[in-house]
Amino acid sequence: MNTLLEVKNLKVRYGNIEALHGISFDVKEGEIVTLIGANGAGKSTTLLSICRLPPPEAPRVTEGDILFKGQSLLNVPPHKIVSELNMALVPEGRRIFGNLTVEENLKLATYARTDGHEAIHRDFERVYTLFSRLAERRKQRSESLSGGEQQMLAVGRALMSKCSFIMLDEPSMGLAPLLMYDMFRTLKVLNQEGMTILLIEQNANLALRFAHRGYVLDTGEIVARGTSEELLADPEVKKAYLGG
Amino acid sequence: MQKHTFTISLFVGIFALTVLAQLGVINQYLQSVIMLMGVNIILSTSLNLVNGYMGEFSCGHGGFMCVGAYVTSVVTVLCFSKNHILGAPLLPPSMALFAFPIALFAGAAAAAVAGLVVAIPSFKTRGDYLAIITLAANYIVISAIDNLEIIGGPRGFMGMNAAVNGMEGIVDIPWMLLWVLFGTLFSVWLLRRFVSSTLGKGVPAIAQDEIAAEIMSVDTNRMKLIAFMLSSGIAGLAGGLFAHILGYVNPHSFDIMKSTEVMVMVYLGGMGSLSGATLSAVLFTVLLEVLRPLEIWKWVVIPLLLILLMQFRPEGIMGNKELSDLFPKLKKYYSFK
Repeated sequence: MNTLLEVKNLKVRYGNIEALHGISFDVKEGEIVTLIGANGAGKSTTLLSICRLPPPEAPRVTEGDILFKGQSLLNVPPHKIVSELNMALVPEGRRIFGNLTVEENLKLATYARTDGHEAIHRDFERVYTLFSRLAERRKQRSESLSGGEQQMLAVGRALMSKCSFIMLDEPSMGLAPLLMYDMFRTLKVLNQEGMTILLIEQNANLALRFAHRGYVLDTGEIVARGTSEELLADPEVKKAYLGG
Repeated sequence: MQKHTFTISLFVGIFALTVLAQLGVINQYLQSVIMLMGVNIILSTSLNLVNGYMGEFSCGHGGFMCVGAYVTSVVTVLCFSKNHILGAPLLPPSMALFAFPIALFAGAAAAAVAGLVVAIPSFKTRGDYLAIITLAANYIVISAIDNLEIIGGPRGFMGMNAAVNGMEGIVDIPWMLLWVLFGTLFSVWLLRRFVSSTLGKGVPAIAQDEIAAEIMSVDTNRMKLIAFMLSSGIAGLAGGLFAHILGYVNPHSFDIMKSTEVMVMVYLGGMGSLSGATLSAVLFTVLLEVLRPLEIWKWVVIPLLLILLMQFRPEGIMGNKELSDLFPKLKKYYSFK
């Protein structure tokens, strides 16, 4: 399997505070990899650094490198990460466009696509099949959706941008358990269709049962790594993150 | 055929107005009100792109109008009027008809370049801080012209009538009225095309959530550059027309008062609605004329009306809806997007 994303000795600062003290991890094609850790461990910072989001959110990379298919991302502007490298981010807090309808939100994600109406139409059908709730509410303003539906929309929107690699920042946040399982099942289906997934989660138990491999982040450092089975069995991880 | 009703009636309307003006049915005063209306429509729709669609707060629109007015005026004066810079006019008066649109374009282009003063800082600032930058841009323009003795400084600049006379020398019809009507039509059409295009969808995306727009692969810096330059360029066109309606410009007719007037029109009409901005520009111009007998007191009455409007209908006349959203049947009568 080819390595898709490789993070090498990444050090990131916010102003004077170093948030990541040199972390390294990689994601191979077709894998589901999860980064787990407590609040403030640096999970979201890692994602923001990969996407190089604009200020004031922008964390500053001081050392190390982020490689995507062997190419450094450090000099690629954020909008090109989506349009040219086919990566998609489902950001923390969803950040959907509240005053647009569901359909308009999805349409906006095709902003930079140049592969024609037919391919876009196929992707619309795919998103509506995966999330039938969105199809029911396609004409509704997205701020009137429930939290779970908004999360579906955020994932659907990422899929509309013709991505082959999707990064999710806490997709389970604020969801009812049933919806949470639904969401993860859908992600699994996507993965079986060939999508590579990098998942960030606080719910370590759920994330590890769903991912192939995982990394445990603690205050800016990776403290454990391995396959999901290994991590689930690791007594340290068990004690700190899985509730005994 | 039905699909073209709107377009056809627009052109018929322009034609009818010109004929009526030519026959003297519409007197000079009414003509100048109609022309000011056109200029105000151009101003309010162009500011609406930034303040309404993009959600920024630009309060220096008068400055860009000023750049357009002066550049257009300088070009036509150099070409058609005896002046102290080059002496004799460069072109014979019969060329006025061809040179005037070029002069207007030059004014608009210069104003668009002036828009960079605001567009570039907007990459990293927004909200209140950007508003202060736009205010500063307005002052920079006014002060610069105040201190340029070669174009009259604070005394103002005149001689534009030569170009208008030149055009009337070719065919004696109310040329300025025609130019204003077509300029208005062009500006509103251009803005409408822009905001309804796929590229233009990036503008409301920035208004909603810049980060989310960036994730959706909108190049926010480029979008801001386009929106600010388009908006100030069109304001420059309005300035060029305005200067030639009056035949005289003075830097202080484009100061913060002018910018405020334009802002009032935008907020009166509703942010993010081109038909709202158009309606409110018409309404505002009429209101100014109707209240003329009140003299200075109209500046008490108009702000009062604004306070009442904000109290009872804060979203403006149209909110962020277009006329065709309120009356879907209108869609039958036009085919453009």
